Amino acid sequence: MARSERQLAMVMDLNKCIGCQTCTIACKRLWTRDEGMEYMWWNTVNTQPGRGTPRDWEEMGGGFRDGDARPGKLPTRRDFGDAWDFNYDEVFHGGKGDTVHLKVQGEEPDWGPNWDEDQGAGEYPNAYYFYLPRICNHCTHPACLEACPRKAIVKREDDGIVLVDEDRCRGYRFCMEACPYKKIYFNHAEKVAQKCIFCFPRIEQGVANACARQCPGRVRFVGYRDDESGPIHKLVDRWKVALPLHPEYGTEPNVFYVPPLAPPRFDENGDIDESQPRIPNEYLVSLFGPKVLDVLEALKAEMAKTRSGGRSEILDTLIAYKWKDMFGGFDRDPATIEWTRS
Amino acid sequence: MARGLDRRTFLIASAAGAASLTLSLNTLSCSEQPAPPPPADEPAGIPAPPEYGDWRDVYRERWRWDKVVRSSHWVNCWYQAHCAWNVYVKDGMVWREEQVADYPQTNEHVPDFNPRGCQKGACFSERMYDPCRVQHPLKRAGERGSGKWKRISWDQALDEIAESMVETIVEEGSDRVVWEPGPGITLGAQTAGMFRLGTLLDSTSLDMNTEIGDGHRGVAETFGKIVFERSGDDYFHSDLILIWGGNPIYTSIPNAHFLTEARYKGAQIVCIAPDYSASAMHGDLWVPVNPGADAALGLSICQVLLEEDLADRAFVAEQTDLPVLVREDTGRFLRTSDLEQDGSDEELYVHDPRRGVTPLPQRSLALDGLQPSLEGRFEATLADGGRVEVRPVFERLRERLADYTPEQATALCGTPPSVIRDLARRIGRAKAVSMTTTSNFGKYYHGNLIERTQALVFALSGNYGKKGSGFVGFPFLNNDGLEPFMISMFDLRLRALISTMGLVEETRLKMAGYTEEMIVCEQSRQGFEQGRSHSGALFWYVHGGMLEASEPLQDWDPYLKRPVREVLDEALDKGWQQVWPRRGDDPRVMISVVSNPLRRIRCYPLLLKHLWPKLRTIVTIDWRMTSTALQSDYVLPAAGWYERTEHKWVTPLMPFIHAGEKATSYQEAKSDWEIFSRLAEAVDRRAAQRGAETFTDRAGRERPLKGLYKTFSSDGEFGHTDDDKVCKALIDHSTNLEGVEWEDLKKRGWARHTSTGKSISTIGTATDFEPGETITPLTRHVLDKDPYPTLSRRMQFYLDQDLYLEMGETLPLHKDPPTAGGRYPLMLTGGHTRWSIHSAWRDDRLMLQQQRGEPVMWISVPDAEARGVSDGDRVRVFNDLDSFIVMVKVAPAVRTGQLILYHAWENFQFAKGKGFQNLIPSPLNPVELAGGQFHLRPMTICMQPSHTDRDTRVEVERI
Repeated sequence: MARSERQLAMVMDLNKCIGCQTCTIACKRLWTRDEGMEYMWWNTVNTQPGRGTPRDWEEMGGGFRDGDARPGKLPTRRDFGDAWDFNYDEVFHGGKGDTVHLKVQGEEPDWGPNWDEDQGAGEYPNAYYFYLPRICNHCTHPACLEACPRKAIVKREDDGIVLVDEDRCRGYRFCMEACPYKKIYFNHAEKVAQKCIFCFPRIEQGVANACARQCPGRVRFVGYRDDESGPIHKLVDRWKVALPLHPEYGTEPNVFYVPPLAPPRFDENGDIDESQPRIPNEYLVSLFGPKVLDVLEALKAEMAKTRSGGRSEILDTLIAYKWKDMFGGFDRDPATIEWTRS
Repeated sequence: MARGLDRRTFLIASAAGAASLTLSLNTLSCSEQPAPPPPADEPAGIPAPPEYGDWRDVYRERWRWDKVVRSSHWVNCWYQAHCAWNVYVKDGMVWREEQVADYPQTNEHVPDFNPRGCQKGACFSERMYDPCRVQHPLKRAGERGSGKWKRISWDQALDEIAESMVETIVEEGSDRVVWEPGPGITLGAQTAGMFRLGTLLDSTSLDMNTEIGDGHRGVAETFGKIVFERSGDDYFHSDLILIWGGNPIYTSIPNAHFLTEARYKGAQIVCIAPDYSASAMHGDLWVPVNPGADAALGLSICQVLLEEDLADRAFVAEQTDLPVLVREDTGRFLRTSDLEQDGSDEELYVHDPRRGVTPLPQRSLALDGLQPSLEGRFEATLADGGRVEVRPVFERLRERLADYTPEQATALCGTPPSVIRDLARRIGRAKAVSMTTTSNFGKYYHGNLIERTQALVFALSGNYGKKGSGFVGFPFLNNDGLEPFMISMFDLRLRALISTMGLVEETRLKMAGYTEEMIVCEQSRQGFEQGRSHSGALFWYVHGGMLEASEPLQDWDPYLKRPVREVLDEALDKGWQQVWPRRGDDPRVMISVVSNPLRRIRCYPLLLKHLWPKLRTIVTIDWRMTSTALQSDYVLPAAGWYERTEHKWVTPLMPFIHAGEKATSYQEAKSDWEIFSRLAEAVDRRAAQRGAETFTDRAGRERPLKGLYKTFSSDGEFGHTDDDKVCKALIDHSTNLEGVEWEDLKKRGWARHTSTGKSISTIGTATDFEPGETITPLTRHVLDKDPYPTLSRRMQFYLDQDLYLEMGETLPLHKDPPTAGGRYPLMLTGGHTRWSIHSAWRDDRLMLQQQRGEPVMWISVPDAEARGVSDGDRVRVFNDLDSFIVMVKVAPAVRTGQLILYHAWENFQFAKGKGFQNLIPSPLNPVELAGGQFHLRPMTICMQPSHTDRDTRVEVERI
């Protein structure tokens, strides 16, 4: 299968992610505010372990197994969680006093994009959880693209961004079934599939994605995979400390994660127990594949260096002393753009 | 290449312009240049976007705007403050916002401050147009709280409010008009307007800091001040960072990267908390502890530090009161007044092996050869010839700590002994231990004991004053131009008088050896004593009727020896504390300014029961409808944050003042300055119509009402819409923004403070701001040996005021939290939420969609199971006071016995309007009524009683 000439990619450092959802809101305010898009969150951050968004997406199939397409389920609007409306006017100006209170109108919700925030798993005091931000993976082998009978999904030659051609799309939603990450939404007003566009209008102007540039946790690195001086190549290919999510899905994602560390657990006496990690290895392996254990060991070794006063090029890169270094050259300040009205 | 679209089709589909941009981008990605050079064959600048080609251009077109304006969110997000935002305006509306992100790196060894911001700030562009906004002045058209409103004009609203104010001022007393400033306080144009009017009318203006639980009483008891903090990048000099009491991953979103990155740099992070919080997750060690039992843990750490010889004796001998001598007979410090007739009662003593019992140096911490004994039993001869045994505080402390071995402490704090020892050793062996700021413990009844203990852990381990080290108090940093700007409204004669009086007092204090900081603190304490400053917390206890909830306190607090009302009477009678208006004088007018007391105040139903009927006029000035607005007589629409020109205070954590310009207008909303200015004019007009030319202030002096607006406006210099000029004047008057011009500041959005400045809310950080250096607090004490503003002039761990002796709190100790609300099994605790700054985003649609659309309360797995409660159920929470209904979230991260309900849900988000604070009694801790002794007197933002909530006991049942 043909690949794009170059590939834009993102690395998200889960040890820096604080679950604040600024990325989520930055994306929402920029791209998904129109009618039909209200319930869409192209960027989500979920607490892991958890059911995520859409609910139980990891059990919905899609992607490839041994090179063959794997059947997938179509997530419903209820699985994603709807865009709730509230009775503001009735509460503020309705003249009904305490007999009314602010609440979701219509059917009572039982799920939303961040419903199981900070719940996680384990048993106190050995509870564990961490945050997993997700966007479209702009896969090298996109299942959505292969599934589309209209050939309405394109992977751009110059940068590998995967886009739904909304002029060609007829809303069949095979892509939504095929995407194993369930990162495609259906616009019920426009009757087209929509998803993260990797902020291509910003990228075209040299400006990093909104989710990355607005991230106060400084979690997200952006750049071309083959730019040897940029952070992506270094973290993914040279030092190999960033891994794709669910590599077994077979789509070759272009979003990579620095896996999460956690403080030690306690044994039954309450003493610190370093014999096994707080986040079970098997759980992390189930997310990031077996290489995750090597990456965690590598990170710990680097941190041991800095704790004893040494330097680590890997950690210096993850720290990003200069924030702009995170963006592989896409570091233009958008406010400097002066549009000429056409 | 993607299937279904070959390269030729793709190129045709892409407009030529876009293709050229992609080309220039490829150049860019390999270059060091921040912006791509225009291709040689194109004119400079970004070319016009293509004509509409296909669906892609819909997205390209969406990402366009008409203009960009610098602004920020002028709200009190405290530790997170502040962030420079670009506001993108399209078609006359704010379309979206994005961080400016052009802060510098302090030096190459620390990360820069970019980009800051959070999810709340990133959606204010939606919030400002949502149905929460107040669009026009509203007047109540039914009973209070009925939700029935009549739209009225600004003129009518201001005239009617002014009429009520004038009537109250002239007929009942100016102190009965109460200004209630909330989290909208900027110390910029907004506050200048409020304070000018309040000062001219001698109103009661509430200091709400201890009321909200941010009073850091234990810090004030120890340091004589609460304001001191580091810069966020100073963590890069720490090798151990304690998150002890707070949850910065929720509450310090823009600063959090300094923690995660300092960890990569080599620091260990230890999080001490009952729950496995989002902050615990980012640590190298999580230390579980029972809620409210941190003093036991801290004292045990101290016990190990002494036991294992990890304490820094030289540090405590110089910087703390641990060598100071205490009389064995009375338990009070040995004072010169004990030794000499008419001797000072503020001069204390130490023992030196060569000099014997000798006065403690007061003007400097430098010991100059003095070697104060930390141990031993000595004798002193009293003025009457009698002899008394004295011992250093250190000896008493050591005895106290003997009760807190890890094996003993674990029974109190629930932390395993091995973990306590491990933590103590990490602290004792680290080169620089720091702590993240928190206002958590001020919300515990015995929080002062916890904070005193924390300060002690850092003192015993010598962790102050070095880069990357130190316990911290309350972060606060603002331009100090507000006070001079206030004074500048008076005529020359009055200005000269004020300045002469100030100078005389300053000289007197200097002669007495006071540092500049001590003088600023003393002036603030005198402000309370002379009725210029007013405790918010006591206002609500006394006039709000909250004391009613403290009636059963003797059943809840086993250490209490007499009814707290009795202690309050004593404190007010002796002048230890003051309440305005005086007891018996009912308040008549209350003006809440971007504030929300009915949401904020614990056991708020008592306010509705006791205070509301006394109030003739209740005004809420806000940009949004709030729980308080719904119970007000008038609601005045204030401008939203992008709708006014302003600058605002910050904290040393990010030591840049922030400023911005008005981007757009909204309906009939007006800036706060304009509202106060027009109200001043209306009061002036109504007074003239009544023929009231003067009024008598609370001190009995005649003051002018005639010409009020002339004075307010500095003789017309600052008109109704001159926010910009006011901001400029405030910057021009400040001493800690050297070389900063307002015109540049408002365009750029930020400027680094050049010093702490001289205001009470800034000076306590007590260090110089060196360019290219991170900020480490308290170096003036630790390195320059300036005395602390305490009785002993040192970090003071021993307190001998009457109430401390009565309550057995002379030294830090652990006390079990009271069973506030009755003997129920669960502790209802809370914290600042990730999802709102106070209530400003609590009912925001986008924020609610990222939660569950309604309030939730966290419960542990065992507690939920025991009550047959499942995740997502609604439960009834109750105690002796009241009940409310809420959805539960069940999580293994929560400790058994603890419930967590993050703050600031509006009452109108609960069934029947019964907000969760209705059953929080906030018992008044008698020790907080202390006063009369040097630093144990009320001061701005501290040393007044606090309101607390974390000790509330409840039960939960399925409904």
